[in-house]
Amino acid sequence: MTTTESPTLLPADEGRHVPGQPDMWVFVLFESLVFTSYFCVYLYSRTQHERSFLLGQAHLLLWLGVLDTVVLLTSSWAVARCVQHARAGHYERAKRDAWFTGALGFVFLVLKIIEWVRLIHTGNTFTSSPFFEYYFFLTAIHFVHLLIGFVVVGVLLLQLTDVKRRGQQTVETCATYWHTVDFFWVLIFALLYVVR
Amino acid sequence: MTPSTNERLFVVWLILVGITVSYLLIDHTASQHGVATASTAVTVGAICLALIKVRIIMREFMEVRGAPQLLCRLTDFWVLLMGVATLGVYLAGRAVA
Repeated sequence: MTTTESPTLLPADEGRHVPGQPDMWVFVLFESLVFTSYFCVYLYSRTQHERSFLLGQAHLLLWLGVLDTVVLLTSSWAVARCVQHARAGHYERAKRDAWFTGALGFVFLVLKIIEWVRLIHTGNTFTSSPFFEYYFFLTAIHFVHLLIGFVVVGVLLLQLTDVKRRGQQTVETCATYWHTVDFFWVLIFALLYVVR
Repeated sequence: MTPSTNERLFVVWLILVGITVSYLLIDHTASQHGVATASTAVTVGAICLALIKVRIIMREFMEVRGAPQLLCRLTDFWVLLMGVATLGVYLAGRAVA
């Protein structure tokens, strides 16, 4: 071999790279399909029980959903900045952004728990209506992904702290996971709080 | 991080937050005298806006913009697939309801 270029790289791809590990992208695309199937079942059910879903949806606070979304979007922005700082070798700034990402994730977690408690106290539980079955299922499955996200942010902080462990690809992989948690919420928010 | 990258990420975040806040306006127009009513236009609009946000997150925050063409096309196709599936099922459900 006289060249170090990958034989599968197209000429248009010169200077381009896959952000993070390709395996993470397989996971992202697979999870997107799984969530899309949940969304399809929810939307179909919604069309069949329109009145019941509208009544259930009226118990949600749209402004709280907007706040949840802004918090997660801001955390995504922070982790995107973290990747850029790490790439530039500014590890202290990258660590600060990683902490900020985790903190905003925690704020989202607290807001979600407050919302669940408020709904349960007003009699809206998993079994109270078809809408709340889907509401609790979708928000809980997202919550599990968020909890895994905290482990991922922990790995990210470890990478940035330990000089021997530092690797840009792992930093990008962690960021890719966090962004995925964010965009799943963007879709869940639109489907649960906004669609009519 | 270069100042231009920093500014770009900030502008992307602003756009995403702007679209999110616009949902408050959509919700206001979807209610008649404070009572929510079913609306295909609102549903289709909300899903389309969410998919636009997903594409922006993928392109800008997840750095797909600078990724090989295969990943760029694959992620675009995936967003399209999510849109066709969700909107298709919703409209089919409305038709048979």
